[in-house]
Amino acid sequence: MSEQNTTQAGRRGFLKLLTASIPAAAVAVATGSKAVASEGVEVRESKGLQKTEHYKKYLETARF
Amino acid sequence: MTNAVETYTPLAPEDQARADLYSLLSSLLLSIPTDETLQKLSQLEGGEGDIGSAISSLARVAKAVDAGSVEREYNVVFIGVGRGDILPYASYYLTGFLHEKPLADLRAAMRSLGLQRREGVVEPEDHLGSLCEMMSGLITGAFGEPASLQTQKDFFNAHIGPWAAHCFSDLEKAENAVLYAPVGSLGRALMDIENEAFRFE
Repeated sequence: MSEQNTTQAGRRGFLKLLTASIPAAAVAVATGSKAVASEGVEVRESKGLQKTEHYKKYLETARF
Repeated sequence: MTNAVETYTPLAPEDQARADLYSLLSSLLLSIPTDETLQKLSQLEGGEGDIGSAISSLARVAKAVDAGSVEREYNVVFIGVGRGDILPYASYYLTGFLHEKPLADLRAAMRSLGLQRREGVVEPEDHLGSLCEMMSGLITGAFGEPASLQTQKDFFNAHIGPWAAHCFSDLEKAENAVLYAPVGSLGRALMDIENEAFRFE
């Protein structure tokens, strides 16, 4: 087994912690906003530029 | 000879689990959960360990709240009067100020990974929810090819590892957090596991 494979096996063994702890349905819940996209992909959403509450607060805070 | 033919390899179950958790955290941090989301959350059953118990708590709380109370909670915790309880930005956690070098460093990293802020999004990229979205996308290949473990590790160690656990822990303890308390626990537990897992060499 190469060194890299040993590392991967150790890591995968450790991460079994995760697979044992989460229900498969978790991902189905995640349907909210997205903030990031790959470059060059058409991602324009119909709402256009919006000042969300979060951002308004951000601007306000940044003044100090 | 073994690598002569490139085959499609499905994501290993543990990587899928990581991506799912990052994606769940991202959507809960970036937007106010709707009744539909709360209903789905309330049906989750956590398994073993810290993550399992955080998911069980999240499901329990999701059952007890409604979209109206969660919207008020979100506004108090993240938006606030004056300011919210939590400012979930890397720059703020690492320097005490918004829009500092950590944000510039992240933007440079995003450029080299071919990522950009989605058009119409005005929040800075170093929001914890955006970073969770990026990790999820790097793992699954949502932005192109799945990123190598080394790329994931470098990104995590540079932009998430140094502060995210601290922020999730603040969220867990935030005075006004109800639904967001178990979200904080879940995030903190995931950060602990990620920190540990990236140490395998």
